[in-house]
Amino acid sequence: MLLEIKDIHVHYGKIAALKGISVEVNEGEIVTLIGANGAGKTTTLKTISGLRGLSSGTITFDGQDISKLPGHKRVMAGLGQAPEGRGVFPGMTVYDNLLMGAYTRSGDFSADLAEVFELFPRLAERRTQMGGTMSGGEQQMLAIGRALMAKPKVLLLDEPSMGLAPLMVQQIFSIIEEINRRGTTVLLVEQNAQQALKLAHRAYVLETGKVVKSAPAADLLDDPDVQAAYLGGGLGHDVPPERDGAESRDVPGEQV
Amino acid sequence: MNQKNSLAGIRHRLGQYGDNMHDRWLNTPGWQRWILYVALIIGALLLPSESIGGFMSPYTDWASILFFPIGTYVVLAIGLNVVVGQAGLLDLGFVAFYAVGGYAMALIGTKLGWNFWLILVVGIGICALSGITLGGPTLRLRGDYLAIVTLGFGEIIRITARNTDAIGGPNGIRGIPHPPSIDELNIFGVDVYELLGVKIFKYGVLDPRPYYYLLVALAVIVIILVKRWEKSRVGRAWAAIREDEDAAEVMGVPTFRFKMLAFAIGASIGGAMGVLWASKVISLNPNDFQFLLSATILAAVVMGGAGNLPGVMLGAFVVAWLPERFRGLQEYRMLIFGAVLVALMIFRPEGLLPSRQRKAELKEGTGGMGTLGAEVPGPESRGEEVASK
Repeated sequence: MLLEIKDIHVHYGKIAALKGISVEVNEGEIVTLIGANGAGKTTTLKTISGLRGLSSGTITFDGQDISKLPGHKRVMAGLGQAPEGRGVFPGMTVYDNLLMGAYTRSGDFSADLAEVFELFPRLAERRTQMGGTMSGGEQQMLAIGRALMAKPKVLLLDEPSMGLAPLMVQQIFSIIEEINRRGTTVLLVEQNAQQALKLAHRAYVLETGKVVKSAPAADLLDDPDVQAAYLGGGLGHDVPPERDGAESRDVPGEQV
Repeated sequence: MNQKNSLAGIRHRLGQYGDNMHDRWLNTPGWQRWILYVALIIGALLLPSESIGGFMSPYTDWASILFFPIGTYVVLAIGLNVVVGQAGLLDLGFVAFYAVGGYAMALIGTKLGWNFWLILVVGIGICALSGITLGGPTLRLRGDYLAIVTLGFGEIIRITARNTDAIGGPNGIRGIPHPPSIDELNIFGVDVYELLGVKIFKYGVLDPRPYYYLLVALAVIVIILVKRWEKSRVGRAWAAIREDEDAAEVMGVPTFRFKMLAFAIGASIGGAMGVLWASKVISLNPNDFQFLLSATILAAVVMGGAGNLPGVMLGAFVVAWLPERFRGLQEYRMLIFGAVLVALMIFRPEGLLPSRQRKAELKEGTGGMGTLGAEVPGPESRGEEVASK
């Protein structure tokens, strides 16, 4: 197992945002966390990348306990992140943004730059443009490309589809698939459950700080509860489903 | 509506003119730049001449105001620019470090009788340490919260000095020694002092010029160092922190350490200026270090174009010089000063000489101004976390 999160609790002040989340990511996988607003997806990712402190629980990466490690050291350990809202440096050019991605590394990055430019030809065209002046899709490409410059073992992506046109979402997701095929493990947080479940191998469904379901992504695509709650075609998950009484079997997380 | 358009037009034209000049400067070959640098230093050394002074400062002694406030403000602004302009940390208590430097000179000079040069080194060390002491607990805060804490720190230093009798209380300290003078300077039998007409290394009470030359030397050294930092990995890290601190952290930038470094460097520069200033004035007291000075230096940095060294220096010059130039108008001079500030904010909201990077950040709107953008921490940011603990 490459990344293991075990029973993590995170608080904002006195408010519990994560109430015991456990997630496992194996090498070579794409794992996705889906859920509605406020479910704790982004908080989970921020906790993994070290931007938020844990109240309890452990995060193990590559056999090493990184729960107490500051964020910048986790990058060196091999966690790369494209943060929420892209986090592109607006006053730096595309090229400088990419170089910031390789901040922890020294030596020659030309091969990595070439690979990023191959994955995102648009970035090569715009290499001297300021990050802040690019479109949302281009910024997302830049954020992912920048994260790749650190040569991460696990790539953490926070809502890469946010605010993008459907066509652009397709494009970004196919690139994520390509990145995974080339050997980078991906942990993807998404509100766009349909897209995420099509892409991922396994998925976790989060709800108000807890994991309510975990299953292979393909199974969840067919799951009536997930369909009702996140894929359209039903009311919210808050309404108790009365269809088949299968709720208790499908939701092991809620017994915890 | 019409008025707004013409305003935007002027703003746009000014901006374009600035951009063209900037482009020309970027395309200037290195040797030409060096000629300009040397010319600027020589120009700075020739500044305290009577012929310029007649126009620049008809009411006060030009050489005196060149040292304080003009030169002092310029050096302080360069120091504050490291913190505010480069690392994007809003510091409202910068005067504290200037005060620590001043008191270091005054105390060590009068009590221990050390040499100025030694005190300068020790003073810089003390200030760097006080920067780290302030930064350690407070740099976990962001935005407005950091600004308030630094504001408090500035006041704490002043009020502590006022209430501590061991360092003179409200009366301050008298009899601060001057830097060691060289009474005669002969090179190959030529009397240099007579040749120049100025006793450049004789630090007395009457002639402010030797202190001004010392200040120019200090400024040149500080500028070279700051420029080198800006272009290094450290400078890139600061820029990343200023533009998006969380993103910087997940790029592997040790953000906390680099923010501390910015504080320590800014404090050292402020402290060095404090030592130099104290070595001239003979006596100092806590009222020399009012909050207004912090605010003025911050105004100089923002108005000049935070993050851009020439802009910041120009801003400091304007802020220091204008009230002196119009001293003849007595109370009305502050009115003119205020009007100029307002006009600047209307026509050059990004500052007199903004850096290009900074301009792009401003356009982006979010986080671009660093913590100057009055970021209010929401439930997602760490400021809140610390504040609620």
